[in-house]
Amino acid sequence: QGTEVSFGGLKADTGLPVEVTAESLSVNQADGTAIFAGEVLVKQGEMRLQAGEVKVEYDATGKAIDRLHATGGVLMVNATDAAEAAEAVYTIASGEVVMMGGVLMTQGATAIKGDTLHINLKTGTGRMEGGVTTTFMPGGN
Amino acid sequence: MILKVSLPLVALAILSSLFLISPPIDPEDAIPYADVEIADRLAEPRMTGAGFATVTSDGATLTLSADRAAPVAGGAEVAGLRGQLASADGAVTEITAAAGKLDRTAGQLELHDGVRLSTSTGYEVVTDSLTMGTDRSFLESGGPVTATAPMGELTSGGLRLDRAADGSTHLLVFNKGVRLIYRPQP
Repeated sequence: QGTEVSFGGLKADTGLPVEVTAESLSVNQADGTAIFAGEVLVKQGEMRLQAGEVKVEYDATGKAIDRLHATGGVLMVNATDAAEAAEAVYTIASGEVVMMGGVLMTQGATAIKGDTLHINLKTGTGRMEGGVTTTFMPGGN
Repeated sequence: MILKVSLPLVALAILSSLFLISPPIDPEDAIPYADVEIADRLAEPRMTGAGFATVTSDGATLTLSADRAAPVAGGAEVAGLRGQLASADGAVTEITAAAGKLDRTAGQLELHDGVRLSTSTGYEVVTDSLTMGTDRSFLESGGPVTATAPMGELTSGGLRLDRAADGSTHLLVFNKGVRLIYRPQP
């Protein structure tokens, strides 16, 4: 059973420029796959996504980014909400972020845990699945 | 009647004495050229249109050509350099630079002055200086680089071309801090 989560704070304009900073970017010259490594920070508008490594996956034309695949511990923050997980995949065009592996999401006073978290940045809604537990911290933030 | 005889005789006389009044031919200065060019070449020995091709230790073919190459101690000063490094699996990196110095002992070329790289994966890189191996697949920028990548504009503190861990192909590594701006098309 999944818990519908409104990720109000996470509404983001996925048309904004994406800025990626990291220690290094290595590009495989044979097939062009590009991997950012070392304190990778992806910023788009209000949304921040930090990860150990981010692999850029292109679309068919090879000119546009289809997906960013973040691994090595991911933290995603947007205005009031934050979500942590082992791994995340962000499909820029559709604005969908799927976070996997011990997801912990905090929204103000509530903390929600689960296996996978689907977020749609365009609508600002999300769905947590897999052993979902919700805890309210008394006394709030 | 007299004319019929005397005119040909006069013609014959003129013809036969023609060689007496023609300018003397000096076989020495047969080819007219400017001495300046010869003196210039002697004073500063150099090769124009120098070319060089080799296969590096990991099987990549490296071809280099320079508009001018003047020998100096331990190597040569080159100008107008164009290079191409093609790895065994077909990845190609083109290098151009206005000037550079070949260090034969170290087996590398220090390029400066308008260095540009373009790779078959669609990266156009500009940097101030670059060191390049002449016998191995090695490239390293001397300082920061700016690049246009298939997915946007990129700046980084440095650039290196390495062999991938499994040695199969080349890895273009932007290091010392990299920043990419990607503008999604609507």
